[in-house]
Amino acid sequence: MTDPLLIETAERVFSDTCTHDAIEAAEREGWAPDIWARVAEVGLPWISLEGGSLVDALAVLRVAGRHAAPIPLAETGVLAGWLLAASGLAAGEGPLTVVPGRPDDTLELVGDRLSGVAHRVPWGRAVEQVVALIEVAGAWFVAAVPRTGFAVERRSNLAGEPRDTVTFDGSAQVAPAAQGVDASALRYRGALTRVMLMAGALEQMSRLTVGYTNERVQFGRPVGRFQAVQQHLVQGAQEAALVGTAADGAARAVGGGPARFEIAAAKLLANRAAHTATRAAHQAHGAMGMTREYALHHLSRRLWAWRSEYGDDLFWSSTLGAAVARAGPEQLYPIITSGSAVLEL
Amino acid sequence: MCVGYVVGMRFESTELTGTELLLQKEVRDFLAAELPRGAFVPGLGMGAARDPEFSRKLARRGWVGMALPRRFGGGDRSAVERFVVVEELLRWGAPVGHHWVADRQSGPLINRFGTEAQKERFLPQICAGELSFSIGMSEPDSGSDLASVKTRATRVEGGWLLNGTKVWTSGAHVNDWFIVLARTSDESDRHQGLSQLLVDLRSSGLRVNPIPFLDGTAHFNEVVLTEVFVPDELVLGEVGMGWAQNTSELAYERGGPDRWLSTYLVLEHFLRERAGCDADGRVAMLLGEATAQWWALRRLSLSVARKMDRGEAPAAESALVKEMGTRFEQDVLRGVQRLVDLEPSLESPSPFEQLLARAMLTAPSFTIRGGTNEILRSVAARGLRP
Repeated sequence: MTDPLLIETAERVFSDTCTHDAIEAAEREGWAPDIWARVAEVGLPWISLEGGSLVDALAVLRVAGRHAAPIPLAETGVLAGWLLAASGLAAGEGPLTVVPGRPDDTLELVGDRLSGVAHRVPWGRAVEQVVALIEVAGAWFVAAVPRTGFAVERRSNLAGEPRDTVTFDGSAQVAPAAQGVDASALRYRGALTRVMLMAGALEQMSRLTVGYTNERVQFGRPVGRFQAVQQHLVQGAQEAALVGTAADGAARAVGGGPARFEIAAAKLLANRAAHTATRAAHQAHGAMGMTREYALHHLSRRLWAWRSEYGDDLFWSSTLGAAVARAGPEQLYPIITSGSAVLEL
Repeated sequence: MCVGYVVGMRFESTELTGTELLLQKEVRDFLAAELPRGAFVPGLGMGAARDPEFSRKLARRGWVGMALPRRFGGGDRSAVERFVVVEELLRWGAPVGHHWVADRQSGPLINRFGTEAQKERFLPQICAGELSFSIGMSEPDSGSDLASVKTRATRVEGGWLLNGTKVWTSGAHVNDWFIVLARTSDESDRHQGLSQLLVDLRSSGLRVNPIPFLDGTAHFNEVVLTEVFVPDELVLGEVGMGWAQNTSELAYERGGPDRWLSTYLVLEHFLRERAGCDADGRVAMLLGEATAQWWALRRLSLSVARKMDRGEAPAAESALVKEMGTRFEQDVLRGVQRLVDLEPSLESPSPFEQLLARAMLTAPSFTIRGGTNEILRSVAARGLRP
């Protein structure tokens, strides 16, 4: 159970720092050092590493998702920090990121020399270290490279968050990955972070849409009183509730094991919601939602971007479905009630 | 753990406790022994067959009226425990038709609003799986707009005289009682002046006319009430408060596993008979999507049951879940249909094909019965207002 005080603190810090203008500026300038400094000051990026638990860190990510926080929060603690800690390397101070591992990456590790190109590296331009997980002759290694050791080509996702192309050609700190840490484990953990962020964004999008349609008056009444508009409000709320409970279920399950079923199911549902809930929210907002000056795009563009990070719909539905099919018809309902307790992925 | 919430609604995530999991296992073992696969014709969720003998067997296990008080024959169990039993029965396709309405809504309603005498008279028989109920809400001119019911109860010596017509009354030709929503007085606010009355379906002056269902089955009826005498002791709750009571009855009726399991067996049997070859991976995609959605819908539905156990009346949350769950039931059917090339037939020797055919013929009703999705969206939207 996460301390409500932690959530309150996170809520306060993010709502103070992630103002509309600050998020716009972060996108324009490619980095938000002021927001990072405030969030780092209260220790939020490292709670899964220092004293707190993974569940606490996930709860904070959900709050960050509500506020569209433009910083590498998931990357620093839950992903890169986890890889470093599990292999005995130091996280140091400052923001970190992780190489998500795209099919077109060309990383090669020889001794302590890392070379090649990694794509879609979140906030590569702004971090102190990039951490990569690399397979060498069937064994997995964690390699950490400081800022001076890589070159960055600026790229971004649909939400304008940095997703840089990073080129390595030099020495790295290298250690064998801990037992069970491999590309698949990183993908599940990465998906879990996106589920939390997306659950937060969906909640906020629902709230924003209900608020807007309650104030916008046409034909002499708030548009939210029209049944046709209510349909959109309800759909947005349904998706937020569904992904919200899936995120809860996944966060709870990782306390007791790998929780692969719960993460796969939650990411699949979040991906679907990135389509259905944003469509409903945009329709309810009309032209206002298409403008830069109104906040909806901070959420909808992030949902579209996060949808394809750490597994798109095709990946998760096929992965989950193939496992369900292998388990057979007698196991179908037990899987629905008990998830990863009865299904291995 | 985070608390899942949307504006104006809360869905606290919850898990089954150790005791509840034991109950789940008990029900699974019971069904495997009592109704082995292949030895009975499974039904589609709450649309399954009626079998009074099976209802009595369940009752002897304490699984009918289980959330009602022990002193009236119930089990003092929780709404969540009832949820655990009901979901297993529905996903198994068990013949729950005889006790279904009494267990889900009539019993809880009588327990909540009834007099001591009414509870003593009805609840023990409901809990024994003996007494069956129908629902007396809809009328020829009142469907979604229930406050416009025209069935009228007129005051007479010692009771009321009922006149009017109820429709879509499932099981009225075989059930024992129904709870009628009727106007007992005319008020400026039409939500006032309504009352609920317990009416014996064998009353003199009551006529049941069958309304054949489109798939040829005979469970739908019109019930014509002509000068039907209802004694004072069978008025349920307070005279004039029928609207509020009816609303809480609907909360029992919505949001449970019956609203997202109607087509579960179509997919399970598809998996059993047809999923062997999945060259292009489309079967896996459907299975993945459906399993994920069942898992999460079930979590929301369970959180509604926990709310009921805390004494809340989660009307908006129930409506939100039912609207989403019933659309999903239809989506599952559509998903399976897209993966097979066959001419559906009720006469097919294949259980999968029979279930598919039956589901196709009844699926439009999923998003209508118990409140249309359009009405549910209005109820849910009211719950969302800041």
